[in-house]
This record gives sequence, C-alpha cells and structure tokens, in this order.
Amino acid sequence: MSPQISSQKCLDCPARTDEQCLADRTVKLSNYKPGQKGRIFQVCGDPDFRLRMMEMGFIRGTEVKVVKYAPLSDPMEFVIKGYHVSLRKDQAGDILMNEPEMAA
Amino acid sequence: MKGTMTRSITVALAGNPNAGKTTLFNAITGARQHVGNWPGVTVEKKEGVLHHGDLDVHVVDLPGTYSLTAYSVEEIIARNFIVDSVPDIVVDVVDASNLERNLYLAVQLLEMGVKVVMALNMIDVAEGRRIKIDQTTLSQLLQIPVISTNGKKRIGIDGLMDAAVATAESPQPAVIRRAFYYGTEVEEELSLIEEGLVKSGVTQESQSARWLAVKLLEGDEEIHKKIAEVSGRDGIFEQVDHSRRHLTDIFADPPEIIFTDARYGFIAGAIKQSVTTEPTDRVHLSETIDKVLTNRLIGPVILLVVLYGLYTFTFQGSEPLVKYFEAFFKWLGAAVTDIVPPGIVQSLVVSGIIDGVGGVLGFTPLIAFMFLAIAILEDTGYMARVAFMLDRVLRGFGLHGASLLALMVSGGLAGGCAVPGIMATRTLKEPKERLATILVAPLMNCGAKLPVYALLIGAFFPGQKAPMMFLLTLISWSMALTAGKIIRSTVLGGPSAPFVLELPPYRVPTVRGLLIHTWERTWMYVKKAGTVILAVSILIWAMMTFPALPEEKVKAFTDRDENLTGAFLGNPEAGAFFKSEKDLESFEKFRAKAPTASKQALEKKNSNFVALWRTLEELDKQEQDPGITITHSNLLDLAKAYDDYSKAKGVIAVELRTARLKNTIGGRVGVALEWVFKPIGFDWRTNVALVGGFAAKEVVVSTLGTAYSLGEIDPNESLSLAERLKGEPDWNPLMAFTLILFVMMYAPCFVTLVVIKRESGKWRWAIFAAVYTTVLAYCVALVVHSVGSFLELGTS
Repeated sequence: MSPQISSQKCLDCPARTDEQCLADRTVKLSNYKPGQKGRIFQVCGDPDFRLRMMEMGFIRGTEVKVVKYAPLSDPMEFVIKGYHVSLRKDQAGDILMNEPEMAA
Repeated sequence: MKGTMTRSITVALAGNPNAGKTTLFNAITGARQHVGNWPGVTVEKKEGVLHHGDLDVHVVDLPGTYSLTAYSVEEIIARNFIVDSVPDIVVDVVDASNLERNLYLAVQLLEMGVKVVMALNMIDVAEGRRIKIDQTTLSQLLQIPVISTNGKKRIGIDGLMDAAVATAESPQPAVIRRAFYYGTEVEEELSLIEEGLVKSGVTQESQSARWLAVKLLEGDEEIHKKIAEVSGRDGIFEQVDHSRRHLTDIFADPPEIIFTDARYGFIAGAIKQSVTTEPTDRVHLSETIDKVLTNRLIGPVILLVVLYGLYTFTFQGSEPLVKYFEAFFKWLGAAVTDIVPPGIVQSLVVSGIIDGVGGVLGFTPLIAFMFLAIAILEDTGYMARVAFMLDRVLRGFGLHGASLLALMVSGGLAGGCAVPGIMATRTLKEPKERLATILVAPLMNCGAKLPVYALLIGAFFPGQKAPMMFLLTLISWSMALTAGKIIRSTVLGGPSAPFVLELPPYRVPTVRGLLIHTWERTWMYVKKAGTVILAVSILIWAMMTFPALPEEKVKAFTDRDENLTGAFLGNPEAGAFFKSEKDLESFEKFRAKAPTASKQALEKKNSNFVALWRTLEELDKQEQDPGITITHSNLLDLAKAYDDYSKAKGVIAVELRTARLKNTIGGRVGVALEWVFKPIGFDWRTNVALVGGFAAKEVVVSTLGTAYSLGEIDPNESLSLAERLKGEPDWNPLMAFTLILFVMMYAPCFVTLVVIKRESGKWRWAIFAAVYTTVLAYCVALVVHSVGSFLELGTS
C-alpha cells in the first residue's frame, strides 16, 4: 500500500513507516511489548475503523496497556479505560502511541 | 377481557454487551418472558411483562450494543426500536466497573431525547476494584435517575422499576439537552440542518430535529435513507454535504470523529467529577485466570480439553435421559398399535408420526445438555477467549474472528443451527468475509445432524461416542476452513476486516440464567420438531407408502407364506402342539410380548406356550454360546422346527417389505438415484433418507426409521432403529462413517438456503452453496468409501 493512497483514505493520517514514527517519537501500538503502557497519539486507518475504535474508547490521550499476545502472537490484548479488548496486530499498527513507559 | 382497563407502559432495556443486561432482564421479568425474533431478522427479541402497582409493565430487551451508530444490525435494531416504537422509558444498563465506555451509549441515548433511567449494574465488581461512584453527582450531571443494581443477587430491582415507572409517568418531558455542546462551528452547521428539517416538515419537534441533524452530519446512511424516503428533501442533503465538507476542512477530521471525541470529552468530565479510583496493586482474579487460560502454551491445550469435555458431558451425561425418551416413544408406538386396528391409520400414526417425530424428539435431552454447555461457555466469558486464541488461525483461512461466533452458533461445538449462525454474520461488516462465513457455515455440525450422528455412532461405534464426536468436529472445522480459504481466494478474493473483540472478565454464571438460556433454545428445537418435522414426517411417510404394491404381487408373497405355514403345521409334532393356524398366530403374539411381560403375567398364560418360548430363548442363547444346555429337551425338536419356520417367514417378510418400498414414490426416487450413489455405497433406502434430509437434516433419521420399520410383519418387535440397522447386511461401520460425512457436508436444508438467499441478496449464492457442498460431500464420501473398502477398514 503506497502512502498516497492511504493519505487520501485517511485525511490526517498518512501511513507511517517505523522510521517516520521514530522521527515523531511515536510508536505503533503493535510494537508495544506485553506489560508496556502508553498514551494514544493518534488513531489512523479508514474512517469506519477510526470511528469504531473511538467509540470503543480509543481516543487521543487515552492510556492503553498491552496485556498479552494470543498464543499465535496475534491478536493482541489491551486494557483501555478499565476493560479488556483484543485487536489484530495490523489494526494495532494503525494506532500511533507516544513512547511506552513500563507498567509499574 | 378485564372489566377495568389496565394501563401499560413499555420499558426498553439497553446496554453494552457484557454489562449484565440479560441477568438483569431475567431478574426483572422472572419466568414471564417471551422469546421471538425482531421482524425480518433472527436477532433474538426478548420480552416480558410484569405488574408494577396498577400498571402492566412491558419490558423489551434490546440487543447489546456499544453504540447506536448503524454499524451492526444489533445497533440498527436497538435504534429503530427507540425511534419507531417510542418506549415510555429506556433503562440503560451500565457496567459500573467499566463506566467510561458504558457511558458512551448512555450519552447517545440522551441525545436521542428519550427518557432514560440508568441502572448502575455490577456495583459490587466496581467496589472490588476500589472504584467509588458518586451516584448523586452522576445523576445530576446526566440529569437522569441513577439506581444501583445487582442483577445476580436481585438487588435494587424494585427501586429501578419504581424510578422507571415514575420517570415514564412524569409529565415532564425528557430534558431538552444542549449539554452536549459541540463547539461554535459544529453548532452553526447543526442549526442550519435542523432548520431545513423543520422547514421541510420532516419533524416538528426540536429534540428529534437535533438528533436527526447530528446523525445526518455524522453521515449516517440509515437516517439518510429514511429521510430520502420522504420526497423533495434534496435541499437538506445539499446542506449536509456542504456542512460535512466545511467541518472536515476546519478540523481535518470528518464530523463523526468530532462528535465521538466530544462525547468522550463530556464523559471524561463526568467521570472526573463522580468517580474516584483508589490505586490498588491487587491483580484481579479474572486476569490471573486469564494468564493460565490464554497462556501461549497451556491455553490451546486447555481449549482442546474444554471442547472434549463438552462432548463427554453432552453425550454421556444425556445418555440415560435419551434412553428414557426413546423407550417412551417405543412404548407409545406399541400402545397405539394395540389400540388402533391395523391399516392405513395405524401406519400413519405409528410409522409416520410417532416414529418420525419421536426419532427427533428422543434426542431432546442431548440437545438440552449441549445448549447448557454452550451457555456455560458463553456466560463465563470463555467463548470470547476461544475467538481470541483462534483468530489468527481463522484469518489464515480468509475468515474473521467474528466468523468464529457465527460458526460456533452454526454448530462449531455441535448442536447449533446454521440459520441463526448465518444471521449472526451480520455483525461482520466486511462483505467478502461475511459471505464466505455464510457459505461455509452449513458445513458445521448443526443440531439437526446430531440425531443422525448419534444414531449411527450408537449403532456402529458404541464404545467411542466422545472420540467420534470429537473427530467429527475436527473434520467439520477443517472442511469449513478449507472451503473458506478456497472461496476467499477464488470467488471472493480481498483483504480482511477489522477485528474488535471485548474480553469480558470471567464471571460465575447464574443457574437461573443458564437454565433460561438452555430452556429457550431447547424449546425452539422442540417446536421445530413439532411443526416442520411433523409435516415432513407425514409427507415422507406418504412418499414411502403410496402407491401400494399391486394385489397380485402381494398375493405371491402371501401364498408363499401360507405354503410355509401349511408345511410347518403338517409336521406331526407341530400339528399336535398347534391345533390350528389361529393357535400359531396367538403364539406369535405371545412370543412378541413375553420378553417384557412380568412373571405373574407369564404364569397366567398357557403353560405350553411358556415352555416353548423358554426353549426358543435357550436355543437362541445356544446359537451364540454353544456351551449352554437346553433344559426343556422334550420340546427341543418342536422348537427347532419352529425356529426354522419363523426365520423363513422372516425372510419372506423382508422381501415383501423391500418390494413394497421399492414400489412407492420414495422408493422409485431412491432407485433412480442409485447409479449416482452406488460408488459411495449407498442403497436406495439411504438415498430416500438423504432426499428427505434436504427438508431438514434430522429427517434423515426419521426417514431411515420409516424405511426400516414400514411393512414390518410384527409391529410389536421392539428393535430400535439402531439395532435394526446393525442387523442389516449392507450396513457396516464404514458405510455408517461414509454416511455421517455425507450428511455433515451435503446440501444445506432448504430453510438454510432461503436464509442464505436473504442474507446474500442473491439466489445464485444459495445455489452455489447447495452445489459446492454436495460436490464436496460426494468427493469426500467417495474417497473414504474407496480407501476404506480397499483397506477393508470397518467393512465387517
């Protein structure tokens, strides 16, 4: 998928490479390790997906913690706003996070 | 009719999935519930009535939703009910331990301008997590009554109903809420759209105009369609398009995102003011359990063990009850045979109705046990973990984590039904994955196939019920997944859809909830057996009865029979014992009933008959075990002669039965199909059963029952169908296994095909489903039959 197509699909959210994220000091949620937590920088992806994620509480500034990976390393389990939810890795890749802090 | 009119109000129960809404509904309505479907869809609609003071309170349980966006069919149903049926009050069931996300739905309900009472449910769980909720503040912020409840312990139910009734009855309208202020730019556009709506006469009421304006600005297709139905509103849509573009330019985000952000902003404020959470180092029990149950290594092992345990529970647990049910129908058939004189009526009632419906209803306990096990998995929260662990696998086959639930409902755990399963795919928004799931769902082991499996496994693999069911589940899954993969990479190529799955905390289910769940589903099965199956049983019976064999052909058999009897009675010893043919007939009757008769009853009978019967019994045992000595040796010669006579008579009866059946419509269809099914070892009787199974899979059992019991010489013979099949020379374990696989995979029943058509919108998908499954079934059966015959596996 080329960056141009994505930027047309999602107005404020060009597909980012890991290098770009590094430049922004943002990390894809899919790169978080179990036990790490951090705050949402931005939710990317197509508008339907973004809306669904936002309705489930994935709003900028919200804290997300990675609980674990499924037995086959995918999907991932998170705690957000006090409940547990599971997303596939590629979807979690559409959620940009600030740099993680280790959970206490 | 009552003398005085009782006033009634309608209460709609809304709430997130996993917020304890069903438990609360059960607590409110008790056993007075009615389960049906929402019009046009098979999403369950639960209703109940209770008396509160002098009021009849009609409670409607809306589907559990996270939001009221038109994302899934559940959301559309919930929203349409509130908009179209206008309940007097909406009770929003909220999980107190997960308040923030649950409030999102509450905010959307408030925006709709309906009267809302909040049930702050599972407050005990919240307290356990050191979450303190200031109910008064929350109530003031939302401007609605907030009542804490515990559905499980039935605490706060009366208070909730009091508040609901009081709010519904209060003349005060729902608060016109401008509390959700979306900012100057958004508000400007909203009022432009509202103005257009009021002007064009779509709505007069300001609250509903506001809600419609918000929905239109959010780009809601459902609302767009509804308003478009009223002609001449183009001006509104132009305004909406203009406003959307305008706001998107300003905020660099489409309006629906801005609204969602704003709602959560409001919620965050409300939470800050009304909730205090003490930090706690305590790890929740649920998370500890989850660490084990979804552990990378142990998790999948436990999953397999759980599934295996489920079969053991279902099949072995229900076995005694199934036997009672079968015995009951056997007894009923025998009783009717005694009362009703032989002829077409007796045949209709015994062979058509009792054998047909009884064969299906006999499995009711098994179905109930299965539903109970599934209800336990669902209510504890383990089902979501199953989807979590298996999603990676399913995705590999072009399906979706949510496909798993649809496949589970279709019979992934054996005992579901493809009809609701296919309906459950509506939660899948991605059309390709949804269609693929619809197309493979009929391959699962639905409840209607279970009687077929149970019959054949019981007859041919008696010691291996649980392992066989386990094997069949694995086969059905691998077939469905392979078919899914092929369909998704050929007819339906394309990328995957989003997967958002909540993993609710583990909960101990309530016995009451489990029983209600199990009862409802089992009752639906029984109702189906009572209606569709009854009609189909009678139809099949007629197909297997008419046209009758011509007189002269029957006469050939009766002549042979009479010659045989004459020859037997010509034997001097027999002639001395049986004075007449009548005597012989009454002995036959006596012999049929003797095994079940009591000792006292036997003593009252003709002592000669008893002695001969005992000798015959001993002779029978001696055949199997030559070591047994015969005590009544004075009757031995007679007994041997009678035994030969009786067996020869049996052969004639079987030949007549076969000739009769072959002559009927059903028999002719079966014979006509024989060249097709010969390579996989099915004879015409099986073919008839398979044709009948197209009406509903369980009919395979009743048709086999009819096929093998019709025209029987002695209706009192108490062999069950399983025993009878075992005795048939053509039947062996390989044949049984091939038939099981064929029934598992071949064309879905016509109800399912109708649903596939409805859900996919095109007959060609239904036809595709029927054709590909039958071809698949035939190929698999051919391979199994050929390989099995070649290796001589299960052929004896």
